[in-house]
Amino acid sequence: MSASTAKPAATVAAPRRSAAGLFVRRHPTLAAGGGLILAMLLAALAAPLFAGDPVTMNPLNRLKPPSAEFWLGTDHLGRDVFARVVYGARVSLQVGIAVAVAAIGVGTLIGLVAGYFRGADAPITRAMDGMMAIPAILLAIAMVALTGASVGIVILAIMLPEIPRVVRLVRSVVLSVREAPYVEAARAGGTRLHVILGRHILPSTLAPLIVQATYICAAAIIVESALSFLGAGVPPEVPTWGSMIAQSRQYLPRAPWTVFAPGVALAVTVLSVNLFGDGLRDWLDPRAARRS
Amino acid sequence: MLSYMLRRAGSTAIVMLLVSLLVFLLLYLAPGDPASVLAGDNATPEQVARLRASLGLDDSAAVQFWHWISRVLQGDLGASIFSNEPVLQLMAQRAEATLSLALATMTIAVPLAILLGVTAANRAGTLIDRVLMLFSVVGFSVPAFVVGYFLVWVFAMKLGLMPVQGYVPLAEDPAAWARHLVLPAVTLGLTYTALIARITRATMIEVLSEDFIRTARAKGVPMLRILLRHALRNAGVPIITVIGIGIALLIGGVVVTETVFNIPGVGRLVVDAIARRDYPVIQGVILVFSGIYVLLNLATDLSYTLIDPRIRY
Amino acid sequence: MNTSRRSILQGVAGSSLLAAVPRLVTAQAQPARANVLRCVMHADLASLDPIATTATITQIHGAMVYDTLFGHDESGVARPQMVAEHKVSPDGLTYEMTLRPGLEFHDGSKVTARDCVASIRRWGARDGAGQHLFKEVADVSARGDNAFTIKLGKPYPALLDWLGKSSPSICFMMREKDATADPTRPITEAIGSGPYVFNRAETRTGSQYVYDRNARYTPRSEPASGFAGGKVARMQRVVLQNMPDEQTAISALLAGEVDFLEKTSPDLRTQLAGNSRVRLEVLNKTGQVGWLRMNHLQAPFNNVKARQAMLHLIDQKAVMQATFGDPTHYQACASLFGCGTTMENDANTAWFKGGQNIARAGALFKEAGYDGRPVIIMQQTTAPVLSNACLLLAQWLRQAGVNAQLVPLDWAGIVARRGNKGPVTEGGWNVFLTWASGSAYNNPITLAGHAATGDKGWFGWPEDARHEQLRSAWIAAANLEARRRVAREMQENAWNFVPHAYLGQWFDVAAFRSDVRGMIGLPDLVQFWNVTRG
Repeated sequence: MSASTAKPAATVAAPRRSAAGLFVRRHPTLAAGGGLILAMLLAALAAPLFAGDPVTMNPLNRLKPPSAEFWLGTDHLGRDVFARVVYGARVSLQVGIAVAVAAIGVGTLIGLVAGYFRGADAPITRAMDGMMAIPAILLAIAMVALTGASVGIVILAIMLPEIPRVVRLVRSVVLSVREAPYVEAARAGGTRLHVILGRHILPSTLAPLIVQATYICAAAIIVESALSFLGAGVPPEVPTWGSMIAQSRQYLPRAPWTVFAPGVALAVTVLSVNLFGDGLRDWLDPRAARRS
Repeated sequence: MLSYMLRRAGSTAIVMLLVSLLVFLLLYLAPGDPASVLAGDNATPEQVARLRASLGLDDSAAVQFWHWISRVLQGDLGASIFSNEPVLQLMAQRAEATLSLALATMTIAVPLAILLGVTAANRAGTLIDRVLMLFSVVGFSVPAFVVGYFLVWVFAMKLGLMPVQGYVPLAEDPAAWARHLVLPAVTLGLTYTALIARITRATMIEVLSEDFIRTARAKGVPMLRILLRHALRNAGVPIITVIGIGIALLIGGVVVTETVFNIPGVGRLVVDAIARRDYPVIQGVILVFSGIYVLLNLATDLSYTLIDPRIRY
Repeated sequence: MNTSRRSILQGVAGSSLLAAVPRLVTAQAQPARANVLRCVMHADLASLDPIATTATITQIHGAMVYDTLFGHDESGVARPQMVAEHKVSPDGLTYEMTLRPGLEFHDGSKVTARDCVASIRRWGARDGAGQHLFKEVADVSARGDNAFTIKLGKPYPALLDWLGKSSPSICFMMREKDATADPTRPITEAIGSGPYVFNRAETRTGSQYVYDRNARYTPRSEPASGFAGGKVARMQRVVLQNMPDEQTAISALLAGEVDFLEKTSPDLRTQLAGNSRVRLEVLNKTGQVGWLRMNHLQAPFNNVKARQAMLHLIDQKAVMQATFGDPTHYQACASLFGCGTTMENDANTAWFKGGQNIARAGALFKEAGYDGRPVIIMQQTTAPVLSNACLLLAQWLRQAGVNAQLVPLDWAGIVARRGNKGPVTEGGWNVFLTWASGSAYNNPITLAGHAATGDKGWFGWPEDARHEQLRSAWIAAANLEARRRVAREMQENAWNFVPHAYLGQWFDVAAFRSDVRGMIGLPDLVQFWNVTRG
């Protein structure tokens, strides 16, 4: 727990560096998580500059272990695993983050409405129950058939079945919070609806939502792997961690690096997203910060 | 309460109808149909066309849907186009394996997860908390088949304690049934333990910072009592929700684990049926699932009232 | 008081399990483990009708529950099986056959000539070789209960060969009512007269298929040889399992939970090497050959130069190496009829001896007038050897200046789309991949894809009059040597007009527990009679 904020007035004009350093010291998890995410995004964006060639196949180089030439070895088609992991970050991060943000965004909105307005609760929850029954695979196959395989379609197909789960979570928190005295007081005091929802109810949902978001991000990358395995994912030439893991499953005993390289990348992503989420929650929720 | 349940029953039927319609449309739009798969490599286009007509696939979407729905209302979910087995019978065969796996997984995951989450929340910010949460991150980012292969290698191949694969029905041999479920349940449980533990920790941290907890501590109530009696109950609703979601996912079938451990569950049934475009099986299974999810969520919602008296319907 | 959600759910689960109990406890007692042969097969038995589909797994099922009139022995000569004696008229136009006594279907009814006649007709309507034969068949009819006659318009020396072949579709004898049922619907019954009985009660679709020894089957007295001779069912029960994860299957074999793996991949097979509890064997000595079909009705492959370009484009060894990794079990093969087969030859194979020549392929595409339009390759994502081959193909095409586009599809999607003869703008295709066994390519009549009859033929629709002439000459040839001469001419012509291309030949390796013996290896079939353990 950091030192108190009582500092002499002289340091108000201190250089930016120590203000940033102060932030990092006060919010280590947020900084660590955010830093890792930033590093990965930068690596993903800068991929063409340093990563190598992720696409060219050369079966003579099949399943070679890590070496000076291939830092993380090669896969079953002789492709450079290191290059594929770095390029894979582009699509996998895109899929994971887009699905998480979209599912959380849409799901929270619907969940707030369902939990707060009694009249809306029944039809919305029934609709969500129904949506849960539709397998993502079927959705993906049909959508890919209609519009062709693309990253956008995969994001949509993975996101839609995640929404009901977010809705249920948000709704459950809203249900318990809506009867709390401070909410009643706000209502009685004539506070406008969006203020009640936004300022009084929404913060209570943040903690479980952030955890759910990190889970969705990881799950999305893994669901994407199942989809590409079944022919309904991103086009097979596009490297993603999920499809690398799926395709390399049968080479695990013989060439474990083909599975572990994207797997570790995935784990690090999940870790950093989690750290970021935890840090974000601590920063936004003053009560948690109070507790020592 | 009773009127609430009646209203829910009514809207359930509507939901199941809408879901069936949506799935039907998805199948209609997806490329390929059972006729071309069933007709085999040697069939001429005319033979495929005749087969398609005899399966009723030439009728308009509305007519096909109407045929299916009217039979469903009479309790007939149809039969697999490939094996001619009634859909309900196929599901019943698979349901036992899936339910057993779900039960075993949750029996391992839920107590472990709540224990981990409460402990971590209680010691938030310390090394124990960080280690536990690191474990949970690893838990749901390691692919299930990696865990599965590893567990099989250690416990089945090297130590010979567990079978490598397969499922034994409970009535045939209860001991074998249990032994065949251990490794798959641990594999799956790892993911769910991680998720439930994290949600437990997050909500418990929230609750533990509440004023009434501070009051209880000030009054000298033992920590264990505070955790279990006061904090956990208040944190209960989101935790139960996530458990409910987890069970729904498990019942929906976890294809990778079923594949790795060769368990004939509903996950593989659905995926195989989709691969073959076995329309009656797909539609029948999803219809039953939507009903099950509704029931599950009803149970979850009712349990909210047991845990949190502030919630009323 | 606090009824937890979990205990409610446990109660629900428990009662549903209890509800299932009455059915389960009445299940028959299981035979001892030593009398059961557990086999992990390469595919799931989706269809039970071996005449409607050419899928190998369905032929394997058929060989267990059905019997055939004739069967090839290990030298490829057709020998009588269900037939006691047969007479061919001197002009070769009339075949009279008499059935062995004591043949029974699994439902207790006797096998009669009427059943055989109906089965032959059904097979003749669907099977490629059967259809070719039936062009000359004037009449098939029963004479009494035990005998029947086939009357031809012209002599057809291969008739007995076709009745006894073990390549799909095999001419299995079914009950008349199964063979005359709606011809558009595949049958879902499995009542035959073969050495094993299909045990429906123990079968779990998608998971395991159970066959029990037929106690009332009377095998022939000759020793088993190839697809002929006495079919003695030594195992009391055979279980065909569908285990989609190969690593699990290998672990199960090592642990003794299963006894036979039909196919193993080279990367995982290393775990079995040097282990005394298991044994490896190549059952199909003619291997499998990857097949590249081009759409002859649409640009660019409606131009012969573009098709010739493909011959220079494909590096078979690279395709094989990508999936199989172990050169001891694959090879490149330029013969139209597979390698290691009786019709193999090296006519017109200069393009092959020169190796991959992408520059030449590019030049040929230009000569063909290729205009840069997208070339659609249907990529079957669920078959690794084909999926990998598609990726390599796309890479090489692009290097040759062709705008190759991959369309990932699962099997059902491919089957639906490959029937589309139109241009790609209307949902058509240019290339799809599949494979067949070397022995299948060895016979230009039985393999539907060898026909060059244009849009009435198999997918790809190649057309060439000379090729068809030669096919007729082949079947009319008097002996093996004559056939081989015709085969040389056929190949000389074929690699000029290029009906299709090949991707390489590989050999599947099966794995057994060491105590399992007696399996007779055949190209397109796995048989379970004669197999024993101990």
